[in-house]
Amino acid sequence: MIARDRNWLLIFAACAALAVVYPLFADGYQLTVIRDALIFGMFAASLDFFWGRTGILCFGHAAFFGIGGYIMALITLNDAIPFGSLLGIVGAVAGAALVAAIIGYFLFFGGIRGSYFTIVTLAMGVICQQAAVSWSSVTGGDSGLIGIPPIAFDVGGIHVDLSQDLPSYIFVASIVAVVVLALWSISRGRWGTVLTAIQDNEVRAAALGHNAPLRLLVTFVLSAAIAGLAGALYVCMAGLVAPDLSGLLLSTEVIVWVAVGGRGTLLGPVLGAIAIQRAQQTISSFNPSLWPLLLGCVFVIIVFVLPDGILSIYARLKGLFKGRRQAQ
Amino acid sequence: MDFVVTTLLNALTLISILMLVGLGLAISFGLMNVTNLAHGEFVTVGAFAVYFVQSVGGSFWLGLTAAPIAGAVVGCILEFAIIRHLYSRPVSTVLATWGVSLILQQGLELSFGLGAKPVTPPIEGTFDLFFTVYPAYRLILIAIAMLTLVGVVLLISRTSFGLDIRTVIQNREMAEGVGINTRRTYAIAFTFGAAIAGLAGGLVAPLAIVLPQMGVNYLANAFFVVIVGGVGSIGGLVAGSVFVGGLTSVLNYQISPSLAQAIVLLAAIVAVRLRPNGLFNGASR
Repeated sequence: MIARDRNWLLIFAACAALAVVYPLFADGYQLTVIRDALIFGMFAASLDFFWGRTGILCFGHAAFFGIGGYIMALITLNDAIPFGSLLGIVGAVAGAALVAAIIGYFLFFGGIRGSYFTIVTLAMGVICQQAAVSWSSVTGGDSGLIGIPPIAFDVGGIHVDLSQDLPSYIFVASIVAVVVLALWSISRGRWGTVLTAIQDNEVRAAALGHNAPLRLLVTFVLSAAIAGLAGALYVCMAGLVAPDLSGLLLSTEVIVWVAVGGRGTLLGPVLGAIAIQRAQQTISSFNPSLWPLLLGCVFVIIVFVLPDGILSIYARLKGLFKGRRQAQ
Repeated sequence: MDFVVTTLLNALTLISILMLVGLGLAISFGLMNVTNLAHGEFVTVGAFAVYFVQSVGGSFWLGLTAAPIAGAVVGCILEFAIIRHLYSRPVSTVLATWGVSLILQQGLELSFGLGAKPVTPPIEGTFDLFFTVYPAYRLILIAIAMLTLVGVVLLISRTSFGLDIRTVIQNREMAEGVGINTRRTYAIAFTFGAAIAGLAGGLVAPLAIVLPQMGVNYLANAFFVVIVGGVGSIGGLVAGSVFVGGLTSVLNYQISPSLAQAIVLLAAIVAVRLRPNGLFNGASR
């Protein structure tokens, strides 16, 4: 096992241990705050899985989050559908994956890469939000849909009910841990290696027999499916769904979480999401319109000062000390 | 008959605006390979310039003169402060310009307050076009846009500065080799594109809802124009604008605007799949 993988697993284990002991010290409200932040963390990891490995930036990732959320809401709010929670999650994941598959097929097989892809996904996000606002007979328009029930289902005779704070926290934390671990093992294995090869030189990777558009498409669909899952979990925890959940601001925020946490690390974006949301709540309590302004400044600062994310400070410091030691 | 003419003129209005906004984008995105997500804010700044001039008692025409200047100033600052440092880092350019776009939006909101800003057109009333009557201001808008486009074509194809731009775009190293200051050429071309977008914002201000967030719709549509039309030629710009603007205005008659937007997006994606190099450019390139 190479050192980088060992370090990643160590940090992952430390975070998992922290998540396990956290309920012992936190009250119900703090638990729900971390729970929601973890869901957004998984959303950030889903973007990082695509962006970090392929180098292609999706600027409308919240569209998939919102699609998952709306599908979940529509299924669970309909009393005629049995097993609402489970079917809702399946539907949310499938819906987000389907949209990604359609758009991704045309773009990747049409040779669209880089900035072009970013722009088209940006427009996709704008349109999803507009659709959520204007298709009010289904989506509830500007005010969205309220009264979404918490997740509840039966597995093998055991009744799982997530209306309480602690069970829902445990449920979400386990799903996030499993998803992040799964994404990591995919991206460090052969699949991730081929994606890196495609990012470095697509023509060469194709000449070696890899179907580059198909690889990119499958990665994109998987990333969108997880974003849809995050959206579905979030609306059940929050109890409501609104057009903001598919909007441009959320798409922007998730990019910041990934960029601050460190692109390509999968764990960094989760931590970035938790940390930045804490900051956002504090700042927004002073003045709500200050947040987008600060967000804009964060973008510019990241690009010029910290292109590899917060975690790179550690690596830089290490490099600094190493350099000094060698100089002596 | 008058229905057809009205639809055509509405389409022509939108196409003219898209051509002006897309022109700057075609320069920065298509030719310099800079993805500037703050391009929509040049339109916003232009529209706010007209609003500001009118609100302090100036005429619309004075405002329309100020609009491209405001766009150029913002574009010039952006180029100097951010974009020129990131020519070799495309993803960073996307992030940084998006940050600037957020800062500009919130800055405008903080300084001018919430809510839509009223802008009055210089001429009220309609013009009798034999087939139909049509708002006079929209005809003026189309005329100014067309004149601007012709001016730009002449500038690029007939002047020595246009020759510099074309040289730098074709081969930056070679252009430097023959003594052209490529940094300066890029900066001027970028500022020029921003000025045209500001002019578009000023022109559209009396027709549109002037908000700090208005830029993003023009941004998305202008990118479609450039992507669908293909980069590198005025013909592609016109073809892309006709495609996006024409489709949007025709669909707007039948269905809700956001559904129309979604269909235009899908059509643009399919068009790109079928003609990856743009509608106008041939298959070889």
